[in-house]
Amino acid sequence: MGNNPKIKRLLEILPGAISWGILFLLVALAVWQPVACAIIVIIFEFYWIIRTVYLTTLLALAHRKLYRQKNRDWLADCRAIDSAGGRFKYHLIIFPVYKEGLEILQPSLEALRQSHYPKEKMIVVAAFEERNPAARQTAAALEKEFSNVFFGYLSTFHPDAIPGETRTKGANATWAAKQAKEFLSAKNVSYEEVIISCFDADTCVDKEYFGCLSYHFLTNPKPHQASYQPIPVYNNNIWHAPSFARLVEISSSFCQMIESMRIEKFVTFSSHSMSFKTLVDIDYWPVNMISDDSIVYWKAYLFYKGDYRVIPLYITVSMDVAYSSNFFRTIAMQYKQKRRWAWGVENIPFVIGSFLNKNETPFLKKVRRSYHLLESHITWAIWAVVITLIAPLPVLLHRSFFSQVSIGYNLPKITGMLLNFTMITSFAWIILSRLTLPKRPPDIKWRKNIIMIMEWVIVPVVILILGSTPALDAQTRLLLGKYMEFNPTEKTREKQH
Amino acid sequence: MTSEQKIRAFLFYLGVFIFFAGLPFILSFALGYKFDPHKFKFTKTGIIVIKTQPANAAVYLNNALLRDKTPLTINELLPAKYNLRIELEKYYPWAREVEVEKGKVSRFEKIILFPLRPHVIQLNKERLSSFWIDPESKLIYYLNQDDSSIYTSNLEGENYKQIAPFIAITPLPAGFRLSPDKQKLLYFNKHQVAIAYLNKQREGPVQDEPFVMYYPGEGLRDVFWHSDSYHLITISNKKIQARETRIDAPDVDLVNLSRRDSDVFFDTATDTLYFTDYQKADDGNLYNNLYKIGLNTKTFLLQNLIGTKDKENGQ
Repeated sequence: MGNNPKIKRLLEILPGAISWGILFLLVALAVWQPVACAIIVIIFEFYWIIRTVYLTTLLALAHRKLYRQKNRDWLADCRAIDSAGGRFKYHLIIFPVYKEGLEILQPSLEALRQSHYPKEKMIVVAAFEERNPAARQTAAALEKEFSNVFFGYLSTFHPDAIPGETRTKGANATWAAKQAKEFLSAKNVSYEEVIISCFDADTCVDKEYFGCLSYHFLTNPKPHQASYQPIPVYNNNIWHAPSFARLVEISSSFCQMIESMRIEKFVTFSSHSMSFKTLVDIDYWPVNMISDDSIVYWKAYLFYKGDYRVIPLYITVSMDVAYSSNFFRTIAMQYKQKRRWAWGVENIPFVIGSFLNKNETPFLKKVRRSYHLLESHITWAIWAVVITLIAPLPVLLHRSFFSQVSIGYNLPKITGMLLNFTMITSFAWIILSRLTLPKRPPDIKWRKNIIMIMEWVIVPVVILILGSTPALDAQTRLLLGKYMEFNPTEKTREKQH
Repeated sequence: MTSEQKIRAFLFYLGVFIFFAGLPFILSFALGYKFDPHKFKFTKTGIIVIKTQPANAAVYLNNALLRDKTPLTINELLPAKYNLRIELEKYYPWAREVEVEKGKVSRFEKIILFPLRPHVIQLNKERLSSFWIDPESKLIYYLNQDDSSIYTSNLEGENYKQIAPFIAITPLPAGFRLSPDKQKLLYFNKHQVAIAYLNKQREGPVQDEPFVMYYPGEGLRDVFWHSDSYHLITISNKKIQARETRIDAPDVDLVNLSRRDSDVFFDTATDTLYFTDYQKADDGNLYNNLYKIGLNTKTFLLQNLIGTKDKENGQ
């Protein structure tokens, strides 16, 4: 049933139709039934504030876990459960590369070298796109520096235009994983002994990352039925990034931390790890979808009939804040990146369509996960628009009427009171953002600390421009059948003095 | 279940509880409902909003003094008639009966409390015959017939100074007009128009001594400056005339009015004259019409017009 093209198309239309439907309905109510619209706005704002407080508390709890597990000697913990070290798993690390050069890749591989995990248990794959003319040169430079560091080091070159594939990161990662599979077979390494991590090219892991990952893998009763998700932070260039780009990425990190506390809804995002055996069993990443990081989770979820989960790792992997040489290019870049993330809405037709295909996942799980998916994408697309643009509409359009009725007098007071309440949560976010910040580089002046606190004032604007709008854009494209192509984010890293 | 999951579950259900428990109160407050514990039901109420000038006045509602002072919003009032009284020491009280309707806001935001004994400040420093205030330049012009001088000060009476000579007219001026270039002040009564020069002309054969123009029997009603600050438009009971501001300039009739109480307005911004007058229609009846004459010309065009009128008058 889910394979039916008409059903698939309907499921593609569904999220955008609901989001736009809600927005149009509210605008229509603001015009013709302003009191009804005002009541809905009050209910939504009240709900949103309770939700914000709830999520901020989860963020604080996640932060507490992250802080407590910081500097923990995970390898020692691994040895404690496996004193001989015989059960230590191999780690296969794939870096899908598009145009990133040595200045991005070299620090990522160096972080692996600095990792505390035994290098003889690590296989690194630098996965290049063959269509990138600089790929061979970059690969050669990296091989020269890193080929003797690990148990295995591979440079792969993903051929362009393989039938059935689109130009996505998943296609490149899949090609690299298949090359690595041959390498592992040649070395007689069982797939069950391998944990694969697929990292964005700019990902710098914590020294304890693989120890932490191994510990969770070894202590998990069903290690192959789980993905392992670290906390992504954007600390590589956070001090040098412009204010709004920094705020967006801090918010992204925080959202990920919050999600880590909601395990039943948790889905893999960006850099993450999983069992190589499971990856082979589910036929790798999707090769024609943009949101490969979450789809791979759903493929495993469906493969294991709902008995698959994401285990949060309270350890960070650090990536780059996406920004460019000028303000407007940075906004455009951020917008495209967030739209690509929001394109995760393509999960909805994939997952619900698969659920409809007589998949043996329990019915209640199907309903819950479908609801969570829809709710999260629709909320993402509409909430900022409702609070910032639609909430004032009834009073603006019917000023004279609202000046004479109680709700008109009370609405701005209630809205102001409720939104002021969110200031408290904003303070919590500011404090937590300071705690996750890396040490200030020597070339950054002290006063930047003040700026980084003051910049939170622009959050409402940032949320509107880079929060809801890209999500609405992505949903509208899916609704209209204008499918997005993978558009890798350009990474900029200033040289640190 | 781990301790974090327990905390999370607790927070979740607490949030759900707060939402459903708090929502009725928030919505009832927004819609103006008040819970009546005696009747055990929500009753729709009204609001009174009060702002006074000056603020901080005491408010009595049905003779009961309210704790807060103005500006003040009285919420959750059951629909009824209320006696509202506002008191502030040394000011006249304000009182009225207010009807509060359910779900409605009764706004009293333009209440001015007038002082019992207004604080009177003398502004003139010399003897005074008449005065005029130019709101645009925020200046007071004082006319003193005793020493035939015009004085000015700011609106507080400060910077009081003599600025120009002045010729007295009798009876005292009924109106004043400052020329658009702020250089001349005209003042007039029913039969005289006087011009005072506020700044001496520096050069050229331009008159800068005050003088009086006489309109015996005309019954002057108003005088306007043309935007060139040189021509005057005079309105009498019989005529609308134009003339230059020099003592020997002739008056030129622009319009001979049929009615004595015509409404006349001259827009200096566009130099357009608007007036009403009777006109006899084909049916033999007199009808009141509104007319417009554009004088938005350079001086020579105005003179052409005056010339045309002269010819007409000659015919």
